[in-house]
Amino acid sequence: MRGSLGLVGRIFAILLLTLSLEFAVGTLIYERASHFSLQDDEARRLAEHLVIARKLVSEQPREERRTMAIQLTTDRYDVHWTPQSPPPPPLAPELQRMRGQILDWEPSLARSALWLRLSSPGRHSEISGGLRLTDGSWLYFGTHVSANRWEFTIGRMGLALIPVLALLVIGGILIRRTLAPLRDLTRATERIGLSDQVKVAEGGTNDIRDLIRAFNAMQDRIHRLITERTETLAAVGHDLRTPLARLRLRLDAVEDDAARNALAGDLDEMGAMIDSLLAFLGGEKDPEPKVRSDLAVMIATLVDAFEDQGKDVAYAGPDHLELPLRPLSLRRAIGNLIENALHYGHRARLSLAREGDRAVIRVEDDGAGIPPERMRDVLKPFARLDSARQRNTRGLGLGLAIVDRAVEREGGALTLSNRAEGGLRVEISLPL
Amino acid sequence: MLRDISGMTAPTIILVEDDPPLRTLTARALQEHGYQVRPASSGPEMWVAFDAGPVDLVVLDVMLPGTNGIDLCRQIRRKSDVPIIFISAKGSETDRIVGLELGADDYLPKPFGARELIARIRAILRRAGLERGPDEQRESEARFEGWSVSFPRRELRSPTGAVVDLTGAEFDLLGSFLSHPQRVIARERLIELSRTRMGDSSDRSIDVLVSRLRRKLTTDDRAAPITTVRGVGYMFNAEVERA
Repeated sequence: MRGSLGLVGRIFAILLLTLSLEFAVGTLIYERASHFSLQDDEARRLAEHLVIARKLVSEQPREERRTMAIQLTTDRYDVHWTPQSPPPPPLAPELQRMRGQILDWEPSLARSALWLRLSSPGRHSEISGGLRLTDGSWLYFGTHVSANRWEFTIGRMGLALIPVLALLVIGGILIRRTLAPLRDLTRATERIGLSDQVKVAEGGTNDIRDLIRAFNAMQDRIHRLITERTETLAAVGHDLRTPLARLRLRLDAVEDDAARNALAGDLDEMGAMIDSLLAFLGGEKDPEPKVRSDLAVMIATLVDAFEDQGKDVAYAGPDHLELPLRPLSLRRAIGNLIENALHYGHRARLSLAREGDRAVIRVEDDGAGIPPERMRDVLKPFARLDSARQRNTRGLGLGLAIVDRAVEREGGALTLSNRAEGGLRVEISLPL
Repeated sequence: MLRDISGMTAPTIILVEDDPPLRTLTARALQEHGYQVRPASSGPEMWVAFDAGPVDLVVLDVMLPGTNGIDLCRQIRRKSDVPIIFISAKGSETDRIVGLELGADDYLPKPFGARELIARIRAILRRAGLERGPDEQRESEARFEGWSVSFPRRELRSPTGAVVDLTGAEFDLLGSFLSHPQRVIARERLIELSRTRMGDSSDRSIDVLVSRLRRKLTTDDRAAPITTVRGVGYMFNAEVERA
């Protein structure tokens, strides 16, 4: 079965894999660095030079040999001859490889007891060594060839870094893949309660599967709870309308004009509360489809209706602007904004403009505005600006919450700001 | 109150409402305004009421036990053209559109007042008496200059297909223009015609309504096809296609 290791096991396995790889590669590099080696052509040249020098020096009589050695000295190689010398020092193990390289080219040099020595006066190493000639005299040589010792620390670090980086990338990709279902889960969690239920696909290791299963079950429960509450509230709202209708009809029996008017006002207010409650709840279920609509005409029609009631409301903007939207919820939203403007101020000014790929509606009033620290609060359902105002506030305090939801459903943005000249400006920006 | 239709008997209304007190109250209000009422609490009772004699109008609650109002409306429409007014506690736009598309004549959300209900009934009865002559069909669609009007949905769509908001009064005015294309209509006649429609009587003068409608029908490439005939009235000068 797939993924039976579990999250911890999986990450442990990944770590183990990367560490052992890093260990293996690191060891290899270290091993190589502890041996000295020459470039192949350098080794061949040195080998050939040594063979020639041995031959030429050996052919000379003993007294001529020193001069010959001097003649054989080039920019690259120093050659000396001595009749005898102390026995050669034992070969350092790290020079074995270099000796091997030279002997690969000229196996005959092995007969001459080739020995090498390394001296490192500066950044470059110098290799020196000796050959024993057949009569027991010694030919010494020195070379300026820099042995390819991986000494240059930065270069060495860089080289060691390459596998580490590669391992990091591989490890990262593997861990990312393992944790991908968790990321989906996180995203779903962020959206919970905002929109429709998001079913997270079960995947990944066993414990992640269990987690996702539990999350989906929890989401089901939450949605069921929300739906039940919403439906209950909506049902209560609908059911209240029948007794309200009865009251309205019974009102005609009230003889006292003043009392009848007052009662009618109360009934209107109750009706408006139920309407706004249902509008607020209605966003959850039975979603209104998007319809291509003329937003400019919609605003103008709303403004006309308020004007007809003698309100100081005006619209400035194009006569037509068509875009897909949910007309019912947006009409209510703009209506709420106009009502708010008239409630907290005396006049409402509406404008509509096309700005880039967005349609921007602005509703401005001449009221007191909103204290900056309360800007966020006023969008919450059942919020009221201050308790003292509650008395003359109609409705349930759902006005701006309904606007907020409607705009969010359109994929738009709602911005509230206080105008420099006083009053509130509400801006709705909708994608065209 | 006097009868709306000059004639012999008081109009008869079937009232289908399942809430007993509301049924009694509504029936009483209708009777007080001179209508004959046959109350019913459900579908079967409604059919019994139909059998009792000719009916001028049906007031139908959408939410009923058993067969709901929407289905009842569909069943009525198979047999008869009697005007139907829906009343509903739901008041959602979908319900309203479904109801009107099924052939209901109006939709009244609860809670409604007696005055509102009477006004709607009166408007519909007058319209039925005035317009629905023997050969005149129930109008459903009209087109002019690319614009399309759906009468059941009471909806206007622009040449590019966008829904253009009209108030009830504006829609009625447009409806009046559409039934008298390329003829001069006197202002008084226009007022009378528009008022007989949805009973959505507007306090605004007809000239304001015309100017608002004109603004809505004016596009970048074309002016609205409504001309003012000075001292007389208005003329709708576009070809109207009816379906």
